[in-house]
Amino acid sequence: MTRNWLLPILAGLAVAAVAWHGTLLATPYVLMSAAMKKISSANGNGRANVFGFGEMATADRQPIVRPSPDLVYSSCVFNLSQGPVLVDVAPVPGKYWSVSIFDARTDVAAVRSDRDTGGKPARLALVRKGQVAPKGYDVVQLDHDKGIALMRILLSDPAEYAEVDAIRRKSTCQAVSAK
Amino acid sequence: MKPWLRYSICILLGLAGGAAYAVHQVRSGDLGRQVTNGPWSTNTDNGTADASALSRARVSLFGPLALPAKEAMYFNAHNDSDGAPLSGNCTYIVSGGELEARWWSITLYEGEGWLVKNEANRWSVGGNAPERDAQGNWSFTVSPERAEGLWLPTGQAPKFDLTLRAYHPKGALLNDPANAKLPTIKKERCA
Repeated sequence: MTRNWLLPILAGLAVAAVAWHGTLLATPYVLMSAAMKKISSANGNGRANVFGFGEMATADRQPIVRPSPDLVYSSCVFNLSQGPVLVDVAPVPGKYWSVSIFDARTDVAAVRSDRDTGGKPARLALVRKGQVAPKGYDVVQLDHDKGIALMRILLSDPAEYAEVDAIRRKSTCQAVSAK
Repeated sequence: MKPWLRYSICILLGLAGGAAYAVHQVRSGDLGRQVTNGPWSTNTDNGTADASALSRARVSLFGPLALPAKEAMYFNAHNDSDGAPLSGNCTYIVSGGELEARWWSITLYEGEGWLVKNEANRWSVGGNAPERDAQGNWSFTVSPERAEGLWLPTGQAPKFDLTLRAYHPKGALLNDPANAKLPTIKKERCA
C-alpha cells in the first residue's frame, strides 16, 4: 500500500515545488499587466504610448496601491511592438522629479531624475534589441515590449499643483512612428 | 486504486498546494524585510534583476513601481519601537533627527497600502513640515483624535502601517540602512 503511493507522492511534491516557483515568477507579470490595463484605460480608451496626467492621490482617489500623497504622478503604458517609444520629460525647476522605466516583470530599466540631468530635460528612447533610436536620446533597451514609464514630481505644498501641472503637461511619451 | 489515479491525485494536490503556498507567502508578507532597523524594514534590491522571486512578487503587490535604492528607499513599520503592532486607536509620537536624504516623508496606510479617510485630509508628513529644535530634532503625533502640533490622523483604521520614503538617500541610510539613524515610534496611550 505505502509503496504504491511512494512514487505518486514524490511526483506530487516535485509538481508542488514547480507550481510554487512558477506562481512566484508569474505574480509580478500578472500584477503589472493589471496595472498597465488600469493605467491605459484611465489614459484614454486603453491607448498605449501616451502620458496620463493623474491628479494627486487622496483617500478617495488611489489609482494604485501605496500611492504617495506628496507626489504628482504621470504615467505612460508603452508598447514597443511597432517600434521605439520616445519619452521626453520637461524639467520642473527647483523640484525633485524623476522618470522611471519599468518593464513587464516590474524591473527598473532606467531612472533619470533632475540630479542626473542637471535640471535639463530627460530624453529616453525605449527600444527592443535591433530597433534604432533617433539621435539625441539616451537609449534604454528592454527585454519586453510592454511596460510603464512613470514620472514623479514632488510638491512641498499642495498649492504648487497648478504651476507644476502646467509644466508636466509639456512632457510626452510617443511612438517614433507618431512623431 | 489504479496507478494513474494515484498519480493524478498527487499531481493535482501538488499543483494546488504549491500555488496556494506561493500566494499565501506573497500575501502574508509586506514590502520586504531584507534589512531591519528598529521598527523599520526595507529592501535593498527593489526593481533590480537581483531581487528574489518572492521579493519581486511582494513588492509588485504591496508597493508596485517602487524605485531602486539609489533613487529612493522605502522603510516600512507595522510595529512601534517597542515591538507592539501599530493600532489605530492609540496615540504615538514619531520623532527623529535629520535623515541622510534629499527629502523624506512618512505616510500612513491601512491594509495592503491604502490611504485612510480622515477629517483633516492628511495622509503624510513631509520632511519640511515638522519644526526643528536647536539640535535639528523633530516630532509629530499619530493618533485618531486631533492632536496639538503636527498631527497625522489614523482615521477609523483599526490597524495601520507607516512608510518612510527617503529620496536620493546617501551615507549610512543608503550604504548601511541597518545602522542608520531612523525615527522612533513611541506609544503614548490607547483609547
